[in-house]
Amino acid sequence: MESTNKSLLRLKRVEASFNSFIDKMGRVIAWVLILMIFNVLFDVVMRYFFNNSSIAMQEVEWHLFSILILFGLGYALKEGSHVRVDFLYDNFSVTTKAYINIIGTLLFLFPFALLIIFGSYEYVMDAYTMDEISEDPGGLTHRWIVKAMIPAGFIFLLFAGLTYILKHIIIIKEAKV
Amino acid sequence: MIGIYMFFAALILLSIGYPVAFSFGAISIFFGFLAAYMEVMPDGGTLSLVMEEFFSMFSMMPFRIYSTMTNKLLMAIPLFIFMGIVLEKSGLAARLLESMGTLFGKLRGGLAISTVIVGSLLAASTGVVGASVVAMGVISLPVMLRYGYCKKLAAGTICASGTLGQIIPPSIILIILSDVFGQPAGDMFRAAILPSAILVGSYILYILVITNLKKDLAPAIDMGDQTDVVRKALFAIIPPLLLVVIVLGSIFSGIATPTESASVGSVGAILLAIAYRSFSFKMLEDAALETAKVTAMVIAILLGATAFSMVFVYTGADGIVEEFMMSLPGEKWGFLILSMLVIMILGFFIDFFEISYIVVPILIPIADAIGIDPIWFAILIAMNLQTSFLTPPFGFSLFYLKGVASDSIRTVDIYKGVIPFIIIQITVLASIVLFPEFYGFNI
Amino acid sequence: AEAKKVKWKLAMTWPSTLTPFASPSLKVAKLVEEMSGGNFTIKVHGKEKHKAALAILDMVKNKQYEMGHSSAYYYKGKSISTAILTTVPFGMTSTEQYSWYYYGGGEAVTKKVFDKFKVNCYPGGNTGVQMGGWFKKEINTLADLKGLKMRIPGMAGEVFSKLGVNVTNIPAGELYTSLDRGTIDALEWVGPGMDIKMGFHKVAPYYYTGWHEPATELHFFVNQKAFKKLPAEYQTILTVAMKAVSADMMYENFDMSQAAWAKMQKDFPNIKVKTFSKSILDAMKKATDETMESYAKKDALFNEVYTSRKDYLKKARDWTEISEFDYVKTSQMVE
Ligand code: NA
Ligand code: NA
Repeated sequence: MESTNKSLLRLKRVEASFNSFIDKMGRVIAWVLILMIFNVLFDVVMRYFFNNSSIAMQEVEWHLFSILILFGLGYALKEGSHVRVDFLYDNFSVTTKAYINIIGTLLFLFPFALLIIFGSYEYVMDAYTMDEISEDPGGLTHRWIVKAMIPAGFIFLLFAGLTYILKHIIIIKEAKV
Repeated sequence: MIGIYMFFAALILLSIGYPVAFSFGAISIFFGFLAAYMEVMPDGGTLSLVMEEFFSMFSMMPFRIYSTMTNKLLMAIPLFIFMGIVLEKSGLAARLLESMGTLFGKLRGGLAISTVIVGSLLAASTGVVGASVVAMGVISLPVMLRYGYCKKLAAGTICASGTLGQIIPPSIILIILSDVFGQPAGDMFRAAILPSAILVGSYILYILVITNLKKDLAPAIDMGDQTDVVRKALFAIIPPLLLVVIVLGSIFSGIATPTESASVGSVGAILLAIAYRSFSFKMLEDAALETAKVTAMVIAILLGATAFSMVFVYTGADGIVEEFMMSLPGEKWGFLILSMLVIMILGFFIDFFEISYIVVPILIPIADAIGIDPIWFAILIAMNLQTSFLTPPFGFSLFYLKGVASDSIRTVDIYKGVIPFIIIQITVLASIVLFPEFYGFNI
Repeated sequence: AEAKKVKWKLAMTWPSTLTPFASPSLKVAKLVEEMSGGNFTIKVHGKEKHKAALAILDMVKNKQYEMGHSSAYYYKGKSISTAILTTVPFGMTSTEQYSWYYYGGGEAVTKKVFDKFKVNCYPGGNTGVQMGGWFKKEINTLADLKGLKMRIPGMAGEVFSKLGVNVTNIPAGELYTSLDRGTIDALEWVGPGMDIKMGFHKVAPYYYTGWHEPATELHFFVNQKAFKKLPAEYQTILTVAMKAVSADMMYENFDMSQAAWAKMQKDFPNIKVKTFSKSILDAMKKATDETMESYAKKDALFNEVYTSRKDYLKKARDWTEISEFDYVKTSQMVE
């Protein structure tokens, strides 16, 4: 009894520190979004009032958008924002829900994320070795960086998935106590 | 055939309740492997060849994800969501509802009518269903109940007005459909204006008629001195209305793309919050966090659906569906009726994002082959999907209202209350099908 | 021995319904199947299926598709030399360019550029001279170009931006609306055959003649490993089929353009065909040469392709002038 409590406590501490990292990432993408809003506005203003458009600044827009959507995946998992079809789910007990989330993360989320991470290795490497740059004159260089956000975002999703599993293991353990 | 099985397997797997985006991902992996097996084995393949085929299929994902990353239109989604959330958090919605209520209160059904009007205004400034239902549930519902409004009418009005954000431009669903259809978002927005105006008008007309037929449904209220009320109401209405006019006006006049207008709207909303003294950096960050979550949710479904459709196309299932739909009797009408029915029924169970990304892409080439005007078809789908927010038992709008109304209202009141509004929506939908010319479509 | 069964997939940059750009792929698939007695089949996927229009080269390199149909210059971010394999402002006409490719050393330098992608690159259809674009107002002087908002991609965009044009990139689906409502003042597309479906002539009356894309070449990409694995006779079948359909697209586009141009003129008699003035053309030529030289200085391979094209153009043009060009003028004298 004593030892299960201790291990539960340890588990909770791990989960809390993982979660706080995910939250920090959430705040980062929140400000990336705010930056993106002003970036888009800046480009419109430049075009209409100064007749001046910078391809590089326009490309920064979607670079920010990419960070927002790719790292948002993991953050949204932690926050429980990914929609479910819940007409059955809502009637399940807390432990059943926890089992569904653990098994779902292991069997649905992990394979999907892993396939994308490994599948994008060559994709990113190609851009890196060829020193790929923007197709448009005056655009951004080092295209591999933004392409590398794909595996990076999904690695973050894996991490969030792991934390999500911990969370539901704790729920199950607590229900047993 | 395997792709067709996959579609039904997905529906079953989804009902377990694990997040939709990753369930689609898992289904695609399983059936992708199966499809690779069936493709390679008959030609004397080996298991390692099957694996090679399977991995090569999925190494397409980065290319598709990259297309999503560089899609400027999708960038409008977080911008419009952010704009709505800031307006909501700045207390503008609440102010609107209160002053409209006092303005129309002395009319029979006046509180319900002002709920519809405020719902349309909120809808026109953003497209977040949850936010407006919650706002009106919190502010308008207690007032209506206090003054003796029938619970069903009150609940139905709030839910129906709250879903208007889906059809009144700018709306997320129209942006997604314009992406899926490959049609200009501005044209979609423009085409949605008359249908949504008719819808709002029908709601108001219904409320006027029913409250005058059954006088105890929604009594008139004496609100006392009216002089200051008008000034207050104007003060509450004009700023958000101005923002809407600027955003939509710049899209329609061609000054800016939807994405650019959305950024103007977002910054405008921040300025309004500052003007109303409700701005803080904490509020800004909260709104951005909220936006990030919703955006990631939409994109996750898009990515899951991408994997799904990749396998679906690989198996040639799209061809089978196309053949079936083309063989329907009555060609155009058979197709229209069946596709509207399918979307409505699926709308009972799954979200409009899934429908837009999975089902609609299957229908588009068929509609194209039959010669159906894409914008018209898209507006029909948008109207249809809007209804799915209202239909019991799983309409989102209903959950949101139940969430904030707690004990004052029973679920069955909400279910019964929305029925007249669903009927109105279906009637308007049918009228767009039957009289496209009236709505400005050249069929 | 029994014939080997081979199943390939081909991805195109364009949707399957975009005639004539989709024609080479659809026709190559049909020809290959027929010539191989049904044993060598190619499944064609348009943009609507793979949804990654500008990743054709990557997908063929990584063998998600054995074959692709696109155009070399879309990949200039990966290798600047691809930019001048498609067409060059003030460069060769389609006849000159095909002669260069098959008989003037073009094939060898193209191979050099694409070897690092482990992809073979073949001609895959040509649009011939593209029109200079649709303008809402007349362009008489260089000053008229300053601040003009125009959609014009590629090298020509680079040249125009040097002349003070505000070059923007707008997705195809938004182009008509943007031009109509003044989000942009001008755009270039292809030529009458493809422009007519976009409807630009309804909203911008000035149709400028071409200078920037005299012979836009589309390309077939074939994964080298996959090609080597083909039986020798299938290799021949594929190569011959690609060569046939590539010429065929040029004829198809020519025919569509003459028909569309006749229709446009009949339905919209107000369309005014214009040619840029000498002073503007001089400035464009100067900016083009500067751009080319600056790339040539930075990149050895680019320099090799550029020099090969430049040298060939010089020889070829001498002949074009007294043959084709003079003949058109001569025959007009007696009309
Ligand atoms: Na809206
Ligand atoms: Na062009």
